[in-house]
Amino acid sequence: MPYLPARVKYDIITVMIYLDHAAATPVIPQALEAMRPFWSDQFFNPSSPYLPAKRVRETYEDYKNRLAHLIGAKGNDLIITSGATEANNLAFTATIAGCTSCPLESTKILVLATEHDSVFAAAEAAKNRLESTNRATEVETVRVDQYGRIDLTDFRNKLDKNVIFVSVALVNGELGTIQPLSEIAEIIKVERLRRLENGETLPLVLHSDASQALNLLSISISRLGVDLLTLNSAKVGGPKGVGALYVGHGIKLQPLTYGGGQERGLRAGTENVAGLTGFTIAAEELQKHLNANRKKYAEFTQALRTELLKSPVKPLFLGVKNREDEKTGAPKLPKPSDHQLANFCPVSFPGIDAERLIYLLEDPAIFANDVSAEPVYVSTGAACAASKGEKSKTLQAIGLSDTEIAGSLRISFGSTNTLEGIKEAGQLIVQAVTHEWERIQNV
Amino acid sequence: MSKTVFLGMSGGVDSSLSAILLKEQGYNVVGVYMKNWSRDLPGMKCPWAEDLADAKRVATKLGIDFHVFDFETEYKQKVVDYMLAEFKKGRTPNPDIMCNQEVKFKLFYDVAREQGADLIATGHYAQNDGKNLLKAVDENKDQTYFLYRISEDAIAHTLFPIGHLTKPEVKKLAAEKGLDNAYKKESMGVCFVGEVGMKDFLKEYFPVTPGDIIDEDTGEKVGTHEGAIFYTIGQRSGLNLGGGLPYYVTRKDMPRNLLYVSRNLNARELWTRELELEDVIIRGEAPIKLNVRLRHRAPLIPATFDGQKLTFAQEIKRPAAGQSAVFYDDDICIGGGIIK
Repeated sequence: MPYLPARVKYDIITVMIYLDHAAATPVIPQALEAMRPFWSDQFFNPSSPYLPAKRVRETYEDYKNRLAHLIGAKGNDLIITSGATEANNLAFTATIAGCTSCPLESTKILVLATEHDSVFAAAEAAKNRLESTNRATEVETVRVDQYGRIDLTDFRNKLDKNVIFVSVALVNGELGTIQPLSEIAEIIKVERLRRLENGETLPLVLHSDASQALNLLSISISRLGVDLLTLNSAKVGGPKGVGALYVGHGIKLQPLTYGGGQERGLRAGTENVAGLTGFTIAAEELQKHLNANRKKYAEFTQALRTELLKSPVKPLFLGVKNREDEKTGAPKLPKPSDHQLANFCPVSFPGIDAERLIYLLEDPAIFANDVSAEPVYVSTGAACAASKGEKSKTLQAIGLSDTEIAGSLRISFGSTNTLEGIKEAGQLIVQAVTHEWERIQNV
Repeated sequence: MSKTVFLGMSGGVDSSLSAILLKEQGYNVVGVYMKNWSRDLPGMKCPWAEDLADAKRVATKLGIDFHVFDFETEYKQKVVDYMLAEFKKGRTPNPDIMCNQEVKFKLFYDVAREQGADLIATGHYAQNDGKNLLKAVDENKDQTYFLYRISEDAIAHTLFPIGHLTKPEVKKLAAEKGLDNAYKKESMGVCFVGEVGMKDFLKEYFPVTPGDIIDEDTGEKVGTHEGAIFYTIGQRSGLNLGGGLPYYVTRKDMPRNLLYVSRNLNARELWTRELELEDVIIRGEAPIKLNVRLRHRAPLIPATFDGQKLTFAQEIKRPAAGQSAVFYDDDICIGGGIIK
């Protein structure tokens, strides 16, 4: 009998319960269909002079307008990029472009402690470039509370006259925490006013990475009050390799690539017509079903939590208040939080090694009561950080202990899930936890 | 009570199958990933995290314990620093041999014993009869060349679970055990021993210092090199000396940063009948007549050894100083030494 029951081949995954939609989503059929012509009969370069190319150009602009419309912006406000990472990097060039006539010798960049690696890395790169122009620059992190919400007092304290750039993700990619961006924007507005009255000319730019948000939140640029907003196709049922940066009026950026002057000269390179098309169609489709999906995923979350509570190791639900029965001390189902995106259900099993759970869940036949059970795919932390073997910054920032971090699973729902599948996944996760727990007891 | 074996797991098929075989033999197996190097190099992502994940996946599915031993500091001191010092002297060391001597069969062995191991195991192609280090059954894969410097104590306490198998047998067995699903490729081990190549690695530590390439036969300058430290005696490629017959590196003058080359494959500097050795290790009685391997996978050459000097019946191509000559008595790897 094989030790590693190899029922599922990597290349033909037909049956599975996929619970990592925060990492990637399958392209929805409508988007796939809409993209197809731009790889075949509508292959033309949008910049070419003849009529069919002009039509492609117009289609591209049309899709861009439609995408922008979803967030209450105009097509011209969007720079289409190769994804959220590039959009985040492009956003941070505002620090350099906005600082050409910078009056101060030292500047500061504020980044929320739970940001994605691409934000931290872009902040460091911006710092290095500013310092190469002899301006001492500091990257400071803004604290979050135990649920991952921004600590507004800490933010106010750190928002001094040297701050040129603030980056706060609308939705955290590991916990699903939704940040109060309009409140943050209000605080920034007050600081801008103060600077104006004091005759201080240092610009103050607010950026938000909304990669995880577009599939369940209605986004309005004017309501959020941001200057720069990152969007990501791969998390909303669109193709990978496409993203967008909304650029507010008066915000100056520097290109990261130079060439034919596309995207207002800020992002040279032949336009990714198919990519933008798929992105727009997918985003539009999801935006039609926001309420229904939020309701559905909220139900999934509670159903999964109900199953996970049966684990021999008490689960710690992340991003929400954990509850216990007052008399027995037994864990109770937490109340859904308005501050957690409905498709996120992160959880920790302290004392259990979550990486081992991931590997076990690939092959339920190893541990499951039902040997024909489907594999369950979950994750730890953000995919890119996890693959480097790094401890999640986000989980450290919300004050988890090392044991709690090591036991943490990132679980996120999406279009591939059903309520039955979620319940089954919950049972399998509990069985995997039990399998590991028993192994540890025997050592 | 079954014996506890700490098995070095790299994520590759050899050590993964070793885990399965040991478990089948009834050992209490503990998987260990030795983290020796994690720094990315220019143009080369160090695969350590992926290798670790592959190893941990196999261990998890087998239901065995798994640990990461962080040996980065010691690896840097004992292997990398030694290697750099040797190159600086103009020699060509073998970091794998040093890694086995100092890290895998010393440090790992010691820590494993401290943590309760009765035995250690690795996925090397080698065998052992409880006392002697023996060649692997698969002559083509035999790795005893890299293991000749490990201690007698370590040999006596090490299992080589796949040493009696050929590589095709390993692959077949691995597939039968369902392992084909759990890993995708051979683990490469430390990055700079892999595809990046030693020269690129050395450039991280030593500046490019142009020097003359001199034709051994004419005494004339035939080109410019990037620093004698980056070249090895006997090396043929990478000299950028244009067309025609290839040049071979015959000598290095480290103080003057000169590289001597020859187009003559029969150049006296390239051949020898004798090799002087240092740091010789011999397990048991040293026979006067033995077989010598001068490179991994190279054929065995009969020679006599007087305690310092190897003498061959015919001229052999001279290996670079710093490389190892490994001794065999029949199938037993009895030791070896480092070429002066």
